[in-house]
Amino acid sequence: MNAPVLTVEARELALAGMGASRLRKEDARFIQGKGNYVDDIKMPGMLHMDIVRSPIAHGRIVKINKEAALAIPGVHAVLTADDLKPLKLHWMPTLAGDVAAVLADEKVHFQMQEVAIVIADDRYIAADAVEAVEVEYEELPVVMDPYAALQPGAPVVRDDLAGKTEGAHGKREHHNHIFTWDAGDKAAADAAFDKAEVTVSQHMYYPRVHPCPLETCGCVASFDPIKGELTTFITSQAPHIVRTVVSMLSGIPESKVRIVSPDIGGGFGNKVPIYPGYVCAIVASIVLGRPVKWVEDRIENISSTGFARDYHMDGELAATADGKITGLRVNVVADHGAFDACADPTKFPAGMFHIVSGSYDIPAAHASVKGVYTNKAPGGVAYRCSFRVTEAVYLIERMVDVLAQKLGMDKAEIRAKNFVKKEQFPYKSAFGFEFDSGDYQTALDKVLKAVDYKGLRAEQKAKRADPNSPTLMGIGLVTFTEVVGAGPSKICDILGVGMFDSCEIRIHPTGSAIARMGTISQGQGHQTTYAQIIATELGIPSEVIQVEEGDTSTAPYGLGTYGSRSTPVAGAAIAMAARKIHAKARKIAAHMLEVNENDLDWEVDRFKVKGDDSKFKTMAEVAWQAYHQPPAGLEPGLEAVHYYDPPNFTFPFGIYLCVVDIDRATGETKIRRFYALDDCGTRINPMIIEGQIHGGLTEGFAVAMGQQMPFDAQGNLLGNTLMDYFLPTFVETPHWETDHTVTPSPHHPLGAKGVAESPHVGSIPTFTSAVVDAFSHLGVTHLDMPHNAFRTWKALREHGASL
Amino acid sequence: MEVKLDKQYPLDVDATRAWALLTDLKAVASCMPGAEITEQLSDTSYKGAVKVKVGPAVAQFGGTVDVIEAVESERKMVLRGKGADKSGSSASMDLTAIITADPSNPAHCVLNGQAAVIVNGKFAQFGGRLMVQVSDMLLAQFVENFRQTALSLPTADGAPSDPAHDSASAKAPVVAREINGLAIFWSLVKSWFGGLLGKKV
Repeated sequence: MNAPVLTVEARELALAGMGASRLRKEDARFIQGKGNYVDDIKMPGMLHMDIVRSPIAHGRIVKINKEAALAIPGVHAVLTADDLKPLKLHWMPTLAGDVAAVLADEKVHFQMQEVAIVIADDRYIAADAVEAVEVEYEELPVVMDPYAALQPGAPVVRDDLAGKTEGAHGKREHHNHIFTWDAGDKAAADAAFDKAEVTVSQHMYYPRVHPCPLETCGCVASFDPIKGELTTFITSQAPHIVRTVVSMLSGIPESKVRIVSPDIGGGFGNKVPIYPGYVCAIVASIVLGRPVKWVEDRIENISSTGFARDYHMDGELAATADGKITGLRVNVVADHGAFDACADPTKFPAGMFHIVSGSYDIPAAHASVKGVYTNKAPGGVAYRCSFRVTEAVYLIERMVDVLAQKLGMDKAEIRAKNFVKKEQFPYKSAFGFEFDSGDYQTALDKVLKAVDYKGLRAEQKAKRADPNSPTLMGIGLVTFTEVVGAGPSKICDILGVGMFDSCEIRIHPTGSAIARMGTISQGQGHQTTYAQIIATELGIPSEVIQVEEGDTSTAPYGLGTYGSRSTPVAGAAIAMAARKIHAKARKIAAHMLEVNENDLDWEVDRFKVKGDDSKFKTMAEVAWQAYHQPPAGLEPGLEAVHYYDPPNFTFPFGIYLCVVDIDRATGETKIRRFYALDDCGTRINPMIIEGQIHGGLTEGFAVAMGQQMPFDAQGNLLGNTLMDYFLPTFVETPHWETDHTVTPSPHHPLGAKGVAESPHVGSIPTFTSAVVDAFSHLGVTHLDMPHNAFRTWKALREHGASL
Repeated sequence: MEVKLDKQYPLDVDATRAWALLTDLKAVASCMPGAEITEQLSDTSYKGAVKVKVGPAVAQFGGTVDVIEAVESERKMVLRGKGADKSGSSASMDLTAIITADPSNPAHCVLNGQAAVIVNGKFAQFGGRLMVQVSDMLLAQFVENFRQTALSLPTADGAPSDPAHDSASAKAPVVAREINGLAIFWSLVKSWFGGLLGKKV
């Protein structure tokens, strides 16, 4: 019965557990085109939905004429807000405590807003019918700039909120004001500035960008009128929350609502919110009693679904003359568009923006964020970052550079001087976060050595001395700390549901296993990495561990995947569930080996009797016993469920350095070198981490160098196709060099912190830092993104540096 | 998206005939490729349509044109046009057109046009970058039609019109009656290459 005797190392290798660069289980089906995405789903009798959208940014709906559309053969229904009114579904709640129009009710608030839906036999008929719906608008003045929106006579974006002076996050001061959110200690920060030897300030704009996942959003809603059951296949990063919301909105008991997120082609925060298209498809299915599919096109995705950023930021630092930072003040005007539909934990209207003190020991700090309505699409999602962390990291990293420049200090030196020191952890920031662990100095030293920082600075000096140099050389440095893994349910919830996550593990009689999760992968490789955690915890080869997620009828309730929370929260739930099983297995093994539990040692895949290597039971043997003949007094079976409520966030960090050469004639920026050192604590699958970092850096490159959503004064979005919106391919993407240190999180069962978002959050300010550094000898302290050739060329001309 | 145009077109037509044509809105409309007046709503208000063809796609704008001001003594017309198509674009234009006589040659005049065009929806989103070039193109076609139509009118002293431009040409201007996307594209390519070579096409 005993397994062949193998060395400990050989048995560890056979498990392919934590630390192994196991190949991704998902890839076999994806590279063969065998994935199962929402648009792959076809159901008998399925109808297709398309959406009539507003061509203008602001206007009253005078008349909607459906007749011509209804006359087209194959059209089943045309629905407008008036049709949804009796069901009270023409408006819906948002995650941020506001309401959003499902279909425009009397007026349109932004270009491409949903005005009516058409249900037809196929996608083509639906598209033709959309063109046949005649909508007459009376145009209203538009307001696109959030500062202008706060002026006394500004156009009113939200007539429905007239007279409402109390919002979800406190008092509203103006008809376009949503909230003002403060963090930190204003009096202490002001005092630090009063006493400061040196102060600097900088205005910066973090442009509106879009996550633009390869797969757009969509769903297939199928209501069974006989059973009263609703099944919806949906592109959602949080299917369980969708189920709760759908049940609340529709009145169908949650037990009769099944939400399935199948394979998802990238989310990056874009697939967290609940969009009008989903609600309409569900309503249409309930009304017609047939399955209804809705999949948006690229233009619809970029124009109307969750954008990110759009923060107008003013930062100030107070410091001593030798560069020790003593105070930080930040004021933000946040453009939220026409509805406040930010996807943040409910109590945090600006997300985790108060991580804005960064990796630095700043004794006094205050931040204030003002949310404003404009005639733009709603959103404000966490684009490959924890909630608003990208904006915060951008601001503090830019400000430290500005301060260094004012003091004539080196960027690396001023950072080292202000770091939270290794011995200060756990460190409580001025904003109240408790940083779990970090060792910034070791990581910084490693990077500076790897790139020969001194040599680079010498080269830059020589280039600057040469008036004929064809390029400007810039060196960007960022030493960032993220806050991820939301979060402790005492402060973090979504619509009242705590932000825990969950795992259910069942060990089968023959020793293989299945794990079901409350999260959902959109490319993160959960099927691969989650199995590795279980393999190490329970000694079962990861190859025989199935991981399932995304189906609310089988998976335990969880809050989903975004904000780098899968490993910090769900990863911990896996470890805890596995440990419950491990404890029961130990009892069974002790019974089988006829010893006391305390006389057993655990070694890779087996319990063995202390001091006798020949007496052992593998986990597979224990599993058989659990189903065959469990010890008296013990339930049969071997499974466990765990809901993990994290005691704290995790704080991954990184040191990024970038060298750019800017062509003085064309403004073209060449990324000569990008060195990224990440510390995400314990590393589960180094190969997947590497892939995550490459992906995040590439998306960071996209944001910094080209992505933007430009609007004209009339509210037309002038860049909503992939001809205009920058998605880098291998042609544009620079070479990435990666490195790491390991500083485990002390409060996480595995010590893991989460990694996928660090490279996005950290790289964006690094690119800006490098581009600005190239201009710094000309007195330039900041240049707004995107750093495309045209804008950089204009800066070269403006500062007399062009050739 | 807003485009402001300010153009002067010298014409080999006398000011009187040019002004006579300018005040005949139906005739003016027919000089615009693809445009026509479909209905007169009042003395100063008209219903019209513009058809734009880009490859296989046809967009049809329907809307109104109002005469805001017509000042005989200054030979000045102020028009406001507004329209929309069914597939989600809308446009409006405020146009001031003035005919000024050429003091050195009474047989010639200058057509001055100032326009503010606002385009919303798909046209603004996809056509934004080409708006100025396309407008230039359209206006050039319009002016050529306008010139030929004006020349075909009888002169103020009752003399027959220029023999080279008999009245038939007023009904059939030489330039295409429809805005043709491919023609516009070709013209843009030509002017772009012309620009590269440093000459004005």
